[in-house]
Amino acid sequence: MSVVVVGAGIAGLTAAAELAGRGVDVQVLEARDRVGGRTRGIEIAPGGWADAGAAYLGERHTALLELMARHDLKTVPTVMEGDSRFDVRGAASAQSVPGRFPPLSGVALGELFDLLDEVTRSVRVDAPWLGPDAARLDSLTAAEWADTNLRHPDSRLFFPLFLGEMMAAAPADVSVLHMAFYLRSGGGLRYLNAFAGGAQEWRIDGGAHRLSEALAAGLGDRVRLSEPVTAVEQDDTGATVRSASGTTRADAVIIALPPVLADRIDFTPELPARRSGERTGPGCAVKVHLIHPSPLWREQGLSGWSVSADGPLLSTVDDSPADGSAGVLTGFVTGEEARRFAALSADEQRATAIAQAGRLFPDLPEPIGFHVTDWVNDPYSRGCYAALFGPGDWLALGPGLTRPHGRVHWAGTETSTEFFGLMEGAIRSGRRAAAEAAARP
Amino acid sequence: MSRDDMVEIFRRVLETDSVSVDSDFFASGGDSLLGTRVLSAVARAEGVELSFEDLIEAPTPAALADRVASVTR
Ligand SMILES: Cc1cc2nc3c(=O)[nH]c(=O)nc-3n(C[C@H](O)[C@H](O)[C@H](O)COP(=O)(O)OP(=O)(O)OC[C@H]3O[C@@H](n4cnc5c(N)ncnc54)[C@H](O)[C@@H]3O)c2cc1C
Repeated sequence: MSVVVVGAGIAGLTAAAELAGRGVDVQVLEARDRVGGRTRGIEIAPGGWADAGAAYLGERHTALLELMARHDLKTVPTVMEGDSRFDVRGAASAQSVPGRFPPLSGVALGELFDLLDEVTRSVRVDAPWLGPDAARLDSLTAAEWADTNLRHPDSRLFFPLFLGEMMAAAPADVSVLHMAFYLRSGGGLRYLNAFAGGAQEWRIDGGAHRLSEALAAGLGDRVRLSEPVTAVEQDDTGATVRSASGTTRADAVIIALPPVLADRIDFTPELPARRSGERTGPGCAVKVHLIHPSPLWREQGLSGWSVSADGPLLSTVDDSPADGSAGVLTGFVTGEEARRFAALSADEQRATAIAQAGRLFPDLPEPIGFHVTDWVNDPYSRGCYAALFGPGDWLALGPGLTRPHGRVHWAGTETSTEFFGLMEGAIRSGRRAAAEAAARP
Repeated sequence: MSRDDMVEIFRRVLETDSVSVDSDFFASGGDSLLGTRVLSAVARAEGVELSFEDLIEAPTPAALADRVASVTR
């Protein structure tokens, strides 16, 4: 039995490792010159790493924790002690406040979370296209939903910031069904939002990319880099996968790519239905890292957490390595802001981000290092944090998400209804696809 | 609003029955997100707008019910 896995992100590597463990002859074809996909490490100080892509996990991410344990990777707790900084009233009026939420009407925020909780509970998480209200929720954007349901100016102001933080989406990009599904799939509103006791409890010591590197090391030369796949042809005896260096033959193929990129591959015979729709958004996130000699803000009684109504840095988090080798403030640029920011020159990006950090944290010196990771324009990550399903997408695409096409099986975090969009979803999808391929007659 | 009404709100928001009049919201699994949902429930029931600081300063059903009473009186 032989299997070609397309994509060496966490999903593809998990699938390949499972298959190799069962004695299957497996090859992984990866477009980039590195493994890891939407996880990537940047060395911000000698031996100190920051996550340019995925970073956080929590205790419900059981498949991830298990895989980490198997590869001797440790968790580092996220630190969130001290006051937060908020700049949500315009005119650079940043202020320090205890707690995670900006100084807006608590009642208005509570009403927003009540409404989100209600719609989140109403979806059928294992098959969102089948829920009782699926058709209606699929036809509306989250922006339209907010227009009808949010009355208080403070909840209207906060909703786009919250959605950007949770799923790197602008409200107009996603259907209400996708928003509700995503929140439910990740463990619900409270779990997904929380650091301690939630989905942001820990990071992977040394960087999330180490997981993919460990998986790839176990596979050795079965992982082939710089091999973008362009076509998959099936016949009675097998499948031929076309990539940069030529063709690879196998009994089965696992496509472990975000849906928008899976649709760029030429399939013969053709797919019965596309994997993404007109409205499927690639997701939009840019991560900015501001490097300091140490987490200086902690000495000022600040947690490093901030939320701003204006960009580019809509929120910041203390992502300093546990060993104290550097102080890292990660800035999240999401939604509309990400598109705007990604279009600027490198100098303009640096100038606007550093100026804003200076307003948010006036007592910090200029950073000694500065990094921008643009996932918006990255040709091999059309989906970050994950694909954004727009109006109509779930009803059209949902039923085919995991349905095999002959010898072709599907993996990738977007094919997992559990922890969709997260590393945990990627691992679960890889395991499912490997089991399917291994069970072929 | 009675202290028992407030216990009911805490139980609903925290999704647990093990809340008494003297249970501390934050020690019972409450966080700032859930805290805002206590505030919206109180506003719906009593028409009173408490702030998040009110909950931090009066984190038990008994104390928060007293605070509501002091505002409405
Ligand atoms: C900024 C950012 C922050 C995030 N934060 C978190 C977080 O905190 N926690 C969390 O759990 N998740 C987070 N995520 C999401 C997480 O990164 C993804 O869910 C996960 O890494 C997806 O893995 P995957 O294997 O499904 O897809 P990918 O990682 O996208 O893997 C797909 C692979 O296929 C390759 N490829 C593409 N096209 C081709 C082709 N034609 N031929 C061959 N190979 C191809 C790509 O190069 C890539 O290596 C974040 C993502 C981003 C971008």
